[in-house]
Amino acid sequence: MATMIEENGPSTHSEVSPSSQARQKLEGLLNKNMRIRMTDGRTLVGLFLCTDRDCNVILGSAQEFLKSTDIFSQGEPRVLGLAMIPGHHVVSIEVEADSLEDTQRFGANR
Amino acid sequence: MSSGEVVTMVMKSAVEDDDAGWGLGIPEKMKNNANWVDITHEFKGACKELYLGELLHDKLFGLFEAMSAIEMMDPKMDAGMIGNQVNRKVLNFEQAIKEGAIKVKDLSLPELIGIIDTSFCCLITWLEGHSLAQTVFTCLYVHNPDLIEEPALKAFALGILKVCDIAREKVNKAAVFEEVRNVLQSEDFQAMTYGFKMANNVTDLRVTGMLKDVEDELQRKVKSTRTRQGEQRDPEVEVEHQQFLALFNRIKFTRLLLTALITFTKKETSSVGEAQKLVAQAADLLSAIHSSIQHGIQSQNDTTKGDHPIMMGFEPLVNQRLLPPTFPRYAKIIKREDMVAYFSKLIERIKTVCDVINTTNLHGILDFFCEFSEQSPCVLSRSLLQTTFLIDNKKVFGTHLMQDMIKDALRYFVSPPVLSYKCCLFNNHQAKDYIDSFVTHCSRPFCSLIQIHGHNRARQRDKLGHILEEFATLQDEAEKVDAALHGLLMKLEPQRQHLACLGTWILYHNLRIMVQYLLSGFELELYSMHEYYYIYWYLSEFLYAWLMSTLSRADSSQMAEERIVEEQVKGRSSKKTKKKKKVRPLSKEITMSQAYQNMCAGMYKTMVALDMDGKMRKPQFELDSEQVRYEHRFAPFNSVVTPPPVHYIQFKEMSDLKKYNPPPGSADLYMAASKHFQQAKLILENVPIPDPEVNRILKVAKPNIVVMKLLAGGHKKETKVLPEFDFSAHKYFPVVKII
Repeated sequence: MATMIEENGPSTHSEVSPSSQARQKLEGLLNKNMRIRMTDGRTLVGLFLCTDRDCNVILGSAQEFLKSTDIFSQGEPRVLGLAMIPGHHVVSIEVEADSLEDTQRFGANR
Repeated sequence: MSSGEVVTMVMKSAVEDDDAGWGLGIPEKMKNNANWVDITHEFKGACKELYLGELLHDKLFGLFEAMSAIEMMDPKMDAGMIGNQVNRKVLNFEQAIKEGAIKVKDLSLPELIGIIDTSFCCLITWLEGHSLAQTVFTCLYVHNPDLIEEPALKAFALGILKVCDIAREKVNKAAVFEEVRNVLQSEDFQAMTYGFKMANNVTDLRVTGMLKDVEDELQRKVKSTRTRQGEQRDPEVEVEHQQFLALFNRIKFTRLLLTALITFTKKETSSVGEAQKLVAQAADLLSAIHSSIQHGIQSQNDTTKGDHPIMMGFEPLVNQRLLPPTFPRYAKIIKREDMVAYFSKLIERIKTVCDVINTTNLHGILDFFCEFSEQSPCVLSRSLLQTTFLIDNKKVFGTHLMQDMIKDALRYFVSPPVLSYKCCLFNNHQAKDYIDSFVTHCSRPFCSLIQIHGHNRARQRDKLGHILEEFATLQDEAEKVDAALHGLLMKLEPQRQHLACLGTWILYHNLRIMVQYLLSGFELELYSMHEYYYIYWYLSEFLYAWLMSTLSRADSSQMAEERIVEEQVKGRSSKKTKKKKKVRPLSKEITMSQAYQNMCAGMYKTMVALDMDGKMRKPQFELDSEQVRYEHRFAPFNSVVTPPPVHYIQFKEMSDLKKYNPPPGSADLYMAASKHFQQAKLILENVPIPDPEVNRILKVAKPNIVVMKLLAGGHKKETKVLPEFDFSAHKYFPVVKII
């Protein structure tokens, strides 16, 4: 890892290296709707704006839902605006099916 | 779009009565689980490929934006965190009725009294600056008074809504707070009403009528439970009687307060007197209300950890979703014991405001505003003062034209010949044009000047700094008009002189503004100790010196005019007019200015001497520059032409002690300071009718005389312990304490 040099622009290698493939996958999700369940049971829905190695995620126009997504006893979600979820509080991450394009299907290798 | 604006936007749509949703379609998507694909494992895996510290983000999103994100699961930032939450169910009004958690009829007297008292406390907390959502609207009853069946409670709920509505309208109209653009900023008054309904479907008259009906009914009950002659007092009936009386007083208080506020909205000046009577009547009820607080039910303690006791009918978190996420969870509602004291002070302030209409001269009004502001009054009373002063921004008190008041002020201050009926210029067409145009240009700045004093103290200082620019323009114009009028008068009536009347008057106000700007810095604790010396220097050696000469020039101008008028009267009548020594109108002001000048001079010399003795802590860092600080403190003065601003180099030259031979040492300066304080004391003790301000200054002058003499004698010369400056007796002049 230490020998790897960060380059701007596309890789010139014929074979796409796994790390830039990961980045491409993540970049493809930017600005898409994302639903994140947190360790305390709340769910946040918002636009995926930023992440880092520790999986800290920033969502834009985030709304907070209190119960599990199947039951809406609370009704109105609470608007948070720009929210950051620390990686260790992320239980699950979901995106809308149409956000994942065929060519970049996450888990297509499964 | 900033997060604040997003919040505002979404909040507006959030307050639809039906929670039909957001119009964004997201809840629908939320419900349809089939649409969402779990990518947790893959996402986390992909993240691990990033470098330590690398952020993956869109071009348009960077650290600057990331910085403003709230961090979830951090108790300080995440108000909704489960675990930070309360265990009880937060129910809104309709839900609470359905669940039977709240009563809308058959409420007992103690319940009614308790609810009313808590609502009063919420109202006061709101007026003190908290949001409606966390105060008045934590009372579920005001969310929908139509659902209340108990007549007393219904009338009260409507009454308090109307009080809030009118208060809010007054404050908005007076605009004594800054516009709230970003919801996340807190200002001194929450302008947003979050779309709460303020009983708009019911007229003010109807609500006061409803309150009166309830009052009359309660009065009957009070009478019927009263002890009759010779009858045995049943303790239960006695308690009931007290409770009926308590409720009656509260309803009446609400009605009187509401009616008073309604009266203020009327445009006739007679309504101010009426309002004053009404609030006085309300004040009469306060002691009875205070002594009956114990009849009301108290809050029940919630067993969840660290939570607030909950009062029946109130839910502090019912509006939490309407507030920005970083808002504190609860507003601290004042205690019932303090409620009456607050109302009593509020009513005093309102009564004082009503008195303003008795002051008909401009300078008097300006002084009124200044004095009123010194008590740091609440936003409602300040707003009432503003809207009473200038009704709809047109006429003063709805009756006087600003231009006429300015002319009167000029006559009073400097007696310009052009405004004197006996002067030929008075009817001179050209002179009239000059003076009328000048006076018209003065209207707006002077209105602004008066209104500035309706703001809170901090904002006042800021705005005073800015208004100097407008006054610089006025000064310019005044000079031109003065020259023109002087020329005219020389031709037409050579024995009379116009000189610089208008310029003198504007200069006077300029100086007042500058002095106030500097002095308020002490009140607001803006200056460090090592800055005191140049502030006091500027005041005593410069501003007050100018002020004294300006006042004496105005005085001479008055006397000149009086003499001419006397000559004219003498010439006509054969009677010998008895010469009475009358009090010069400006004498009080001249005296006070002299006293202030001496106090400032004393303080200036004290500070310089303390510095000489090494008893002053000064900044020692490498990039420090006193010049930068000095220029910053006096920056607003740069737009003033007369007096010309004193720049730092010039100040250093003017205040250089080495120009004296021999240069004074600290002992000499302490003695000089002591003499200044002594002089101030003498001047003030000779004031015929001392007002509180005179006494306040004396409380500082007297001890300082002694302290300075001691210091001059070498008292505690070696100690390096820093002296203390005690501003408790007077906010501008401290008592110097040597430890």
